[in-house]
Amino acid sequence: MLKRVLIANRGEIALRIQRACRELDMETVAVYSQPDAEALHVQLATQAVCIGPARAADSYLNQDALLTVALATNCDGIHPGYGFLSENADFADACAREGLTFIGPSGDTIRKAGSKSAARDLMKAAGVPVTPGSDGPVSSVEDALAAAERVGYPVLLKASAGGGGRGIRRCDSAEALPAAYAEAKVEARACFGDDEMYLEKLVLRPRHIEFQILADRHGNVIHLGDRDCSIQRRNQKLIEEAPARCLTPELRARMGDAAVRAAKAVGYEGAGTVEFLLDSDGEHFYFMEMNTRIQVEHGITELITGVDLVRQQLRVASGLSLDMTQADVSLTGHAIECRVNAEDPRQDFRPCPGTVEFLHFPGGAGVRVDSHLYNGCALPPFYDSLAAKLMVHAPTRLEAIRKMRRALEEFALEGFPTNAELSYQILYHPTFVRGGCTTAFLEEILPRLLDFNRRVDQHEDTL
Amino acid sequence: MNSIFSKRRARLLAMKAMRDNYIPGDQLTVCPKCGQESPRREVAGNLSVCPKCGYHFPIGAYYRLSTILDPGSFRELNGKLPAGDPLAFPGYREKLAAAQRKTGLTEVAVTATGTIGGQKCVVGVLDNRFLMGSMSAAVGEKITLAIEYATKNKLPLILFAASGGARMQEGILSLMQMAKTSAALARFSEKGLLYISVLTDPTTGGVTASFASLGDIILAEPGALIGFAGPRVIRQTIGQELPEGFQTAEFQLEHGFVDAVVPRTQMRDTLERLLRLHGKGGQP
Repeated sequence: MLKRVLIANRGEIALRIQRACRELDMETVAVYSQPDAEALHVQLATQAVCIGPARAADSYLNQDALLTVALATNCDGIHPGYGFLSENADFADACAREGLTFIGPSGDTIRKAGSKSAARDLMKAAGVPVTPGSDGPVSSVEDALAAAERVGYPVLLKASAGGGGRGIRRCDSAEALPAAYAEAKVEARACFGDDEMYLEKLVLRPRHIEFQILADRHGNVIHLGDRDCSIQRRNQKLIEEAPARCLTPELRARMGDAAVRAAKAVGYEGAGTVEFLLDSDGEHFYFMEMNTRIQVEHGITELITGVDLVRQQLRVASGLSLDMTQADVSLTGHAIECRVNAEDPRQDFRPCPGTVEFLHFPGGAGVRVDSHLYNGCALPPFYDSLAAKLMVHAPTRLEAIRKMRRALEEFALEGFPTNAELSYQILYHPTFVRGGCTTAFLEEILPRLLDFNRRVDQHEDTL
Repeated sequence: MNSIFSKRRARLLAMKAMRDNYIPGDQLTVCPKCGQESPRREVAGNLSVCPKCGYHFPIGAYYRLSTILDPGSFRELNGKLPAGDPLAFPGYREKLAAAQRKTGLTEVAVTATGTIGGQKCVVGVLDNRFLMGSMSAAVGEKITLAIEYATKNKLPLILFAASGGARMQEGILSLMQMAKTSAALARFSEKGLLYISVLTDPTTGGVTASFASLGDIILAEPGALIGFAGPRVIRQTIGQELPEGFQTAEFQLEHGFVDAVVPRTQMRDTLERLLRLHGKGGQP
């Protein structure tokens, strides 16, 4: 087993990893930027080292500093968490060169899964359904037009190196394609320094279904069920549930198989996620991408499977084989997560970090809160605005919804605005309660939810 | 620190209240009385009273409670007491379910404790959107429980009536609620406690003939229809034209059935003053 792990991250995930390490008797080395000196992950680590100023590029993304600290403190493993360097193949390689165990897949695997067009080819070869599109990159507008003609409009133009919604354009007709192609190419070059483009059919009103994968170095790959992350705004997930209500056991088994095949195709190791789009017919599903890291919403899978995913990551990285088989995995009950972000929905979701003046988390049976906040701590403006993850687990979906409503009613945070009330409103929305949400849902109802919110404000002012 | 949780409670009640009264968008609202248009924002800011002619739009139970009680003091009593179907009346269950879906209420009556200007009291509200605000066994039970709670805790009681009468789908059982609530009020009265009845549009039938008319002080909202049988039935029965403004709150004030007509915008202050006058120590 690993003896001492450097946690190259901050916030709640750094805390999450620390907790798993401590339960496995591993020592932890926290790193932090100057504004994070008072952060909870620094307070609770075995030791903590400052690695630079606020800017992420100088601290949490500073590979040299991280490796130097890891070697100087005699760490034998590095856990990258999510975001920052978690899907950076070069960093994984650099760790290996220095003799450190990168807790995650190898650099080669990250590279294979990370390039979107290469991943598509790999998945096709492995028999995982992908959205119909250009086979490989398109080199010219003519190429793109021909491919679009073949799969049918509307289509999406995507940058091979893309992510986070950048370098993507939607086209509804052949007339609009040349302009969109040029625009997306420019954006891709500006954002990723690589303007290779590919094209695929746009699945209208899909659901975002993802499968949690666990793999070890000895070729064992299992999946731990699915999550429905369709409630999102501009590709930012807000509410996730597990398992997805729209999957039949038969479809779940088929998609799970495909996810395992996908992981095997890239030679995966550790915890990862295979994302699918589920067509509105509830029958066809397409491989979207593979995330080679622990995800923000891993907690709900832990709740329904009873498996500690970070613990499994640490075990796999230590060279142990999985201590369970696919047959041991059973999904119990239903779990929901709400992400509480320090952002103001009234002002177009502007991030608004600040100091926590008062904080009260919900509790009780079946409620889990992962957060790095404490009374009086500051949420610095330099990093993402995630403030807390509220999770609930109950025997049925309806009970879970009621539990989450109750939890959000108890939750109190003074000091900066959050999106918690928006989640609360969604939990009452008939479409959500019926389980009929697609990825278009939140954008469609948002104006109305915000209008409602304004009216509540106004009513409170009147009184 | 306590104020933070009371702020949360106030916010949750405001959301419930808005759920009662929310119409999306910010178009113009047409007043059914004067026919003039006002921006919805302006009407909402005036507690759903037409800014031009003073017409009182119907409002939901939680909305009313949010306009009356001190923010954060609201605590619902017997919130989940459900309606039954004692006679297995054809189609009644479906009607109940539809009304519950539409309004988000479990029954016509919402009862709560709270404070008005810092004075603790028990408040009950009937919601006319739920099956015409008709009185079922569950409504009678809720009102009675609220009266008994007030009796036991020596608190003043305020009931806002809005009802089409007894609920016909529950037959004699709903009519029995008239006697039940009246008897509970008699016991309440024996303790020397204050009961303020507020009649809103419309207060008719078995509700008028029981607890709504038994207030120590009876207030009414302007323009509210208050009576036992409706004007059309009376006209057909006696075969005579009815006087101008028959059965309105103002008409009933003139004829001594109502003590005062109080606009919605002044209701809270009026109730606060009345509670202060009649409360312990009786300060003006």
